Amino acid sequence: MAAVSGAPGATPTTIDGWLGVSDHKPVGRLFIGGGVLFLVTSLVLALVASYESVDGLGFQIARDPDEFTQIWSLSRELMIFGGLVPILLGIGIYLVPLQIGASSLAFARGAAGAFWTWLLGAGLLIVDYLLNGGPGGGRGDFVVLWAASLAMMVGAIIWGLVILASTVLGARTIGMTTERVPFTSWSYFVFSLVGLFSLPITLAELLLAALNIRYQHLPIEQSEVLVGVLDGVTRAPAIYWLTIPVLGMAVDMIGVHTGVPVRLHRTVMALLTVFGLLTFGPHLVGMASIRTIDYNNAVLVLGLLAVVLPVLGTLALAGDSLRSGSISVNPALAGALLSGLLLLAATLVQLLGLVEPIMGFFDSLFPDSVDMTNSLVLNGTTFHEAVTALVVGAVVVGVIAALQHWSSKLFGRSSAASPALFAIALAAAGSVIWAVGELAAGIADQPQYPELVDTSEGSLQVFGVVATIGVALLLGAVAVIALGLVGSVVSRKPAGSSGDTWSGTTLEWAAPSPPPLGNFPAPPVVVSATPLAHGELAYDGLRSESGGSGSGDAESEDAESAPAEPGDNTRDEEG
Amino acid sequence: MAVVTHSHDLIPSEITPPEVARPRLLVLAVSLVSAAMAMGFVGLLSVYIAQRADVISTGERWLPDGVDIPLTQPNFMGVTLAFSVITIWWALYAVRKNDNGNAYLAFALSLLFGFAFIAQTAYLFTIMEIEIAADPRGVLFYAIIGTHIVMMIAAMMYAAMTALRTLGGDYNSRQFEGVLSMAIFWTVTVALYGVMWYVIYIMK
Repeated sequence: MAAVSGAPGATPTTIDGWLGVSDHKPVGRLFIGGGVLFLVTSLVLALVASYESVDGLGFQIARDPDEFTQIWSLSRELMIFGGLVPILLGIGIYLVPLQIGASSLAFARGAAGAFWTWLLGAGLLIVDYLLNGGPGGGRGDFVVLWAASLAMMVGAIIWGLVILASTVLGARTIGMTTERVPFTSWSYFVFSLVGLFSLPITLAELLLAALNIRYQHLPIEQSEVLVGVLDGVTRAPAIYWLTIPVLGMAVDMIGVHTGVPVRLHRTVMALLTVFGLLTFGPHLVGMASIRTIDYNNAVLVLGLLAVVLPVLGTLALAGDSLRSGSISVNPALAGALLSGLLLLAATLVQLLGLVEPIMGFFDSLFPDSVDMTNSLVLNGTTFHEAVTALVVGAVVVGVIAALQHWSSKLFGRSSAASPALFAIALAAAGSVIWAVGELAAGIADQPQYPELVDTSEGSLQVFGVVATIGVALLLGAVAVIALGLVGSVVSRKPAGSSGDTWSGTTLEWAAPSPPPLGNFPAPPVVVSATPLAHGELAYDGLRSESGGSGSGDAESEDAESAPAEPGDNTRDEEG
Repeated sequence: MAVVTHSHDLIPSEITPPEVARPRLLVLAVSLVSAAMAMGFVGLLSVYIAQRADVISTGERWLPDGVDIPLTQPNFMGVTLAFSVITIWWALYAVRKNDNGNAYLAFALSLLFGFAFIAQTAYLFTIMEIEIAADPRGVLFYAIIGTHIVMMIAAMMYAAMTALRTLGGDYNSRQFEGVLSMAIFWTVTVALYGVMWYVIYIMK
């Protein structure tokens, strides 16, 4: 097809331009860049916290247990709400409008507002900890400010999720019915819905925490208990919420890199939806307190058991493409596969936590036959951190793969494969080693919360060293991403100046690289879930020389209108 | 936007391609925001119910000593809000009929009912005599009731802005998405009062 033309990319050049930027692409890049920055910060803090928990003879960096709690808590908050969620949100804000053929994001200026609000909240959060606030803090006003700044970040993320969900619901291009939405965009839709239904509960808990500290119903000396406020987000199955878009992106990437789009489109969409549903709701119950199954927590236990199935099903369907397609080792494919496997590992490791409640249940039925003294007691221990480590690894690996896969769209250049492969290997190894250390410490009864940590036992120190090595490797992987991003941004090319490395079948590959303002020369018209696979793409109101056939009323079009040859901006024809 | 060349003589040679119609994006977004808001509020009520159950299971009385929650004011507040739902949808109906006179009257009545609701809540605070600093239960009462008042104020500001835009001619029988989304937000806020009325004022 003829190269599609469009207006040049509109990267703002002034402060007010950046504040009210109306194109989704700069906003997406801002979220990704800011998220990576805070993810590096959070992993440095996690490294410090992990190192401190190794030491059984006293603190080396933190001055007292409260400061240790503050470091641990800030690392966790920055990792989730400062790093992983904003990076995923940024990729979604950049990619989803392209995938669904929209010229822009719904409420693009609102998305810019969400970014600046989130950034302000993140800055306030760090300042607040520096002023002795947050869980473990000694100054009531700054503990209240901690709740406010975290609420600001969470509120901004909720608004970003509302915008993403509205875009998928209301801004799809002509012919893109719900069942034709690409996997990545669909997974972002599920991610947005689950997030905007579950994160407000965290806001409610933060409000109550702030009021209880403000009116001294929770003495400031006990502020360390506030680390539990985020349990509704950081414990399984809620923590799997972070991996919903990672799973969707992995399926899309596997389809592109094997040359065989994943079959049974609606089945995969259903599996992603079921996975999303299972990451919501049961977390309200709380896992740490479960000692035996009863009617109060049966839903949670069933949810934790069931969540393995959609992950397994999605990976199995993606595996079919691997089996029947051509495979060449590249970072995007390797990352997509590894992120899926890490997620599967996380869901399987979490099942270990069910041993105690299931044995407790049978003990209540057959008290003489079951010996609870041999039960594996993991709930409330660092076992939860092991699951978190695997989930964080899955997200980091998935993000590296996605940045590699869509690098021509994001930055107008193909990222180097070797550093990306190195980062993926480092991140996967790091998260597994981190998880092994935490799981072993959990089996040895080390409690999850820092104020309860006692590492005087020699064996626990060994496990702590293992976990610390894992965190360090993960930090190294994220540092490689950060350096690669800086290089990509510095050498970023103007809109439409680059070719694509892969032959994708979804709409983003029909747009120039990087896409201009407006993304497409005219609204694309699609008739299938993979509009570029069989030359089915057309543009509404465009003559053939501009890139596609008129299509809104194709029968009445000029006879000269040629069928679309989508995605020919340097792509080869194999897709 | 890309420049597209058309061959038809009567159409200018260069026009920008049309945007895809995006119906009801605002309605979708406001509905999602309302749902998120409802979840946060339900989360607060869940904490209230759980703590109340814990206290009652020990054989103690849930309400602090000396505190009494009368039912007259909450009932009238509910009736006031029920009327406001009727008037807010009346505003939408009037806008869709291009009946601006009735639309302004409906907006004004809705805002009046909103102010009346807040005034009644303030009065209820004075007779409930719950001290927020004296008892942790006070935190729960004021967090829940206060959150709902903030929602109500947001709904009133949204309604006032919508009324002004209607006055300015932005909304009419063909373009009423803003009024519809405002009506949805208002209705959800009122529905949440219904839940709160049962949990706080009836169950006590």
